[in-house]
Amino acid sequence: MSTQTAVTPAPTPTWSEGGFKRVRQLIAGVLAIGGLVLTLVNGFSIGYLIVGLWLALLVWKPLHGILVFYATISVYPVLRVISISLRPTDGLLSRSLDLIPPGATLNSFVELFEEEEFLRWIWNSAAITITVSTIGVVIAATGAYAFSRWRFPGRRPLLIFLLTTQMLPASMLLIPIYVIVAQLNLTNNVIGLVLAYTSTAVPFSIWILKGYYDTIPPDLEEAGMVDGCTRMEAFYRIILPLSTPALSIVFLFNFLASWSEFLVAKVILQANQVMTWPLGLNELIGTFNTDWGKYAAGSVFVTIPVLLLFLWQSKYLISGLTLGSVKG
Amino acid sequence: MEFSGLSIEIILNTLQVLLPLLIILVIGVIALEVGLYLFLARVIKTKYALPYTLLAPAFVALVVFMIYPLIFNVLLAFSNLERSTFACYSPVSLGTCELDHLYGLDYAIQNFSDVFFRVRDGEIVGWGRLLRTADSTFPVLLGRTAIWTITNVVFHFGIGMALAIIMNQKIRFKGIYRALIVIPWAIPSVIVGLTWRQEFHAQYGFVNVLIQALGGQPVSWLDEPTAAFIAVIFVNVWLGVPFYMIMLLGGMQSIPADYYEAANIDGASAWQRFNGITMPLLRPIIIPAVTLDVIWTFNKLDVIFLVTGGGPQESTNILVSALYNAAFGPAATTELGFAAAFSIIIFIILFIFALVWITTSGGLKEIYDR
Repeated sequence: MSTQTAVTPAPTPTWSEGGFKRVRQLIAGVLAIGGLVLTLVNGFSIGYLIVGLWLALLVWKPLHGILVFYATISVYPVLRVISISLRPTDGLLSRSLDLIPPGATLNSFVELFEEEEFLRWIWNSAAITITVSTIGVVIAATGAYAFSRWRFPGRRPLLIFLLTTQMLPASMLLIPIYVIVAQLNLTNNVIGLVLAYTSTAVPFSIWILKGYYDTIPPDLEEAGMVDGCTRMEAFYRIILPLSTPALSIVFLFNFLASWSEFLVAKVILQANQVMTWPLGLNELIGTFNTDWGKYAAGSVFVTIPVLLLFLWQSKYLISGLTLGSVKG
Repeated sequence: MEFSGLSIEIILNTLQVLLPLLIILVIGVIALEVGLYLFLARVIKTKYALPYTLLAPAFVALVVFMIYPLIFNVLLAFSNLERSTFACYSPVSLGTCELDHLYGLDYAIQNFSDVFFRVRDGEIVGWGRLLRTADSTFPVLLGRTAIWTITNVVFHFGIGMALAIIMNQKIRFKGIYRALIVIPWAIPSVIVGLTWRQEFHAQYGFVNVLIQALGGQPVSWLDEPTAAFIAVIFVNVWLGVPFYMIMLLGGMQSIPADYYEAANIDGASAWQRFNGITMPLLRPIIIPAVTLDVIWTFNKLDVIFLVTGGGPQESTNILVSALYNAAFGPAATTELGFAAAFSIIIFIILFIFALVWITTSGGLKEIYDR
């Protein structure tokens, strides 16, 4: 945020002239008041006021107008899921756009826990996800180090192979894995899903970690080795502690990827004894009926922690992504 | 004691299954590393003993989880494996699973030609059906995939770039805007897909309510082919813009302000500064981001599967969603050998495209240099 660079000058010279600015302010004021009047005339339908205020903003400060518009598009569907989760059962099928529904209630949340096996879905998802993420980090941590520090024979073909795995259509791996898992009699078993998820988690983790190790100067280990460490001690005492952010990024990425995975789970877990939450919520949504409230409640329950985690870690997540998959 | 389907017993059950797996894994990794290192360092005496040792667990994992399944997939394309001969297909069967299928070149020729051609009495009578409807043929799906990929990437890039340029100005509340605009990226995609499907509902979804409030005619989004395709593209654009905005904004903020000041002194216009400074300097970010996005979008089936399921009348399927539907969907063919052949063809198309694109654009070149 430190270097503010003006790609296009905020207001172009003609626009910043006093007279023109005043005209725009005037138009903006008229639009806002117009919206307010229309709202009052039409029996407090707040929509007119919102549209009026937004048009006013667009005329007065166009950049903010655009950003507010796009931010609304990004956020409104999310707010609406929250709003639906608060609707009373008899008001579920409403065409209202209000964010706080009349007669708001937490009933859907209560029903979700009491009538569905929601906690069991969450537990299954969590157990699978944590196992996969752990395996990914453990296996990738040392392998990525080898890729980063040595030019051994076979390095280049392996790296190209890792890159190519990113291009595999999900179903291409899913067909053989499904047959293998079925042969091992692991369908409807958490292990089957752990195996399926690990197949995508490992290449990805190596990729990101290699990118991170590349940014750590090799001088650090060499200094350690001069002081009498072995190479492995240098790795465990110097590189791994320095890589904590990258390790947690890899863990988080694998966590987020398998936490909300749906298509593979749908194939591997076909019976209902073991369900993850995406499968559970998919069953709830079927068509428009009373379960919609429960679906919305479940979505809110699952999304809020992920969202907070993402916003809190977004800086690291994004830098991890750039380092790992984009800059190579 | 059970609450919401969860009891101590169930927790212990899961742990009983997963903890041994983790313990075996850790012991296996240690045993493999120690054994291999001693072998390489003492017996073969290679100077690369340590890196090969460090790589071994990942290599084994790659072989087991990637290379073996991929080889198996090719083998499946050479087989007549069918759902009906797949004895354990029944979801609740508990016995051991016997595969009753044969391998042969004939089957491979059959499977691969089925992807393209419809054969009657030894003569080609037209394009092969990949799904149930006569329209689900290879060229139609390939064309739709191209439209899907190009439209998505263009909108992702265009909107992402526009937002990044605006956000790169001196503007208030920047942090708040960014946090809000990033939100679609952070929501689990299952929830995105299922929620948008509901919101495109002709009567109760907010899209139509909003259209009618603004005086338009309601659209039956999920029942009309064109409208449904627009709907899935909209959802995927909505999902993909934050990635570009963040990447491009990050790139723009790393461009030194001096360049722009120098251009200002020389009297460059806004467009000249954008075209002469911003775009060339962002190239190392744009090329890999677009490359990745093309690959991701080409392979993106969860949005389509969740929002329309490929419908109505299979009209919103792209290649990968057709493959998923053919192999596992409600309209699944019984022939897994055919599905395997189909998947290999899709991969070859993407691979050739990626190879051409990467060599011509020079994207992802850095990986070899390091």
